[in-house]
Amino acid sequence: MSVLLELDGLTRTFGAFTALHDITLSLPPGRVGLLGPNGAGKSTLLKILMGLIPPTSGRGRVLDQELGGDRDSAGNWRLRRLIGFMPEADALVPGLTGVEYVTLAGELYGMPRREAQRRAHEVLSFLELDEARYRRVEEYSAGMKQRAKLAQAIVHDPPVLLLDEPTSGLDPAGRDAMLRLVKSLGADHGKSVILSTHLLADVEAVCERVVIVAGGRVLRVGTVAELCGRREDRYRVRIDGDPAGFRDDLVTEGVQVLGEFGPGEWRVSVPSGWTNLAFFKLAEVNGVVVRSLTRDDETLEELFLRTVSA
Amino acid sequence: MPAQTDTLLRYRPWRGTLHGPGWAALAMARTSVRLMARRRLYWGLFALVLLVFFFFFYGQYLLAWIPGQLGDTVTVASVKVPVANFTKFLDRLNLNGSAHTFGNFVWFEGYVVVILLALAGSVLVGNDFHHGSLPFYLAKPIGRWHYVLGKCLGIGAVINLATTIPAIILWVEAGLLADWQTYYVNNLNLLAGILGYGLVLTVCLSLLVVATAVWVRQTVPMVMVWMGVFVLLRLLAGWVVDGLRADPEWRLIDLWNNLYLVGMWCLQVDPAEVRPQPQPAYWQAAAVVGGVCVGCCLYLRRRVQAVEIIG
Repeated sequence: MSVLLELDGLTRTFGAFTALHDITLSLPPGRVGLLGPNGAGKSTLLKILMGLIPPTSGRGRVLDQELGGDRDSAGNWRLRRLIGFMPEADALVPGLTGVEYVTLAGELYGMPRREAQRRAHEVLSFLELDEARYRRVEEYSAGMKQRAKLAQAIVHDPPVLLLDEPTSGLDPAGRDAMLRLVKSLGADHGKSVILSTHLLADVEAVCERVVIVAGGRVLRVGTVAELCGRREDRYRVRIDGDPAGFRDDLVTEGVQVLGEFGPGEWRVSVPSGWTNLAFFKLAEVNGVVVRSLTRDDETLEELFLRTVSA
Repeated sequence: MPAQTDTLLRYRPWRGTLHGPGWAALAMARTSVRLMARRRLYWGLFALVLLVFFFFFYGQYLLAWIPGQLGDTVTVASVKVPVANFTKFLDRLNLNGSAHTFGNFVWFEGYVVVILLALAGSVLVGNDFHHGSLPFYLAKPIGRWHYVLGKCLGIGAVINLATTIPAIILWVEAGLLADWQTYYVNNLNLLAGILGYGLVLTVCLSLLVVATAVWVRQTVPMVMVWMGVFVLLRLLAGWVVDGLRADPEWRLIDLWNNLYLVGMWCLQVDPAEVRPQPQPAYWQAAAVVGGVCVGCCLYLRRRVQAVEIIG
């Protein structure tokens, strides 16, 4: 597959309200973060990508499957077979054990019963729920519930995983583990992952690409490296010696100090026309030594806030 | 949580052929029956179903056995008493392998079935809405009608276990107690009638259960709604028709009576023999039952939506 998804002028309205406005987007397979504040249109976009609601206008394809039409059409069933969806809501079936829950998911995807049972045991072992597989899902801890939900999404080995807030409700250790797992499914097992979240750290940890959505529009698309490296005016500088004079001279020259990490270590934004040599000249003037000077790219959080607020 | 590479290496791809969405409905039905069977309350109610069944089963056997074994009279304290007097209390049930036997059987099972279905509705459908399981189903490659079909099949299994299957056993028993070759050949229409009655009950009640459970979701409100539909409306219909001598069409507000009338039509019973009298026409009852089914389908079409899935 050369293209994961391709959207062309996709618009979705609900009455007078436009949830998605003229979305044009093309993404190659890989791990994609769908970032946006509440009400940005992420959920509507996910529903359209799963063929649950049709776009009002525009066209789109996910893995060569055309989007649109009634949610119960054969085309949209084919589309949903290619997608493993992990919802944010609990979405567990009370009364079923872990293995029954995942087996049922496999059968709902169309797997033969015995295959679904065998596969359910496999994926539960993979997700280290093997010892809890015969416990009822409503008795699981928050982390186990998230893993059970992930298990039902990967039971039929889909090429695309659509994860809606997969770290919701997890403690830090559980969150790290979940993110490593999701990253591994993408990096080691060739799954394309679309991660919908408002947690920037999750996207930074897992995704190669980011789509920033706000107000029903796509504001930015690109790799994390591209987007965060776009600002070339940021440096992190560390000196040995008296920092006060050096810092004052930097400010006098038009350098903006964005943050201080300790005595003699700053994050700065330089004015246009600035050359790195200027740091060393100022250091010489103030009798200090530049120990470290590195490019300090904009963080995803800064990019996100800047993009959304603009 | 898996964090190490050796753990992650255990993931294995799966390649196989996927079935169509119809199979998903069967899987849902199987799971529904399993979920019901795990409830103690279900087995308690099923015991009551069996109690009614065994009453009919042994009643039928008793009525066939007594005349053959005891003759016309039996002597009790030097007084000859006609045997028929001992079995008078069973007369109203028509335990003779006729259409009325099976109609009465389903009618009496109805009291337990109503409570059983309230439980089934809240466990099998209400929970999906109450605990957010609906996204689990509808995000799969199935349509909303496959979801409804799967749930209806599961509920239909519960209904048939309590009505149709025991009725068929009673039919088989009635044949064995009589001249079985003649009975089975002459009463095949009764077997078809029982199956038809079972089908009507399955379709109408399962749709009604799913629609009601989607609406109220929890067991206690479900029971209250069902009691309102099947007890309160029945009492009201009886009071209006029998007490106030109003038109028999007022009985149409009693859904269980309507189902009974459609069942009697399936069993080819003369409308004049249906008790209590007067009754509305068969077609009127069938129209109400059909209307309920259509109403439930329209409601489910509106409520079982993709909007429930994300956000």
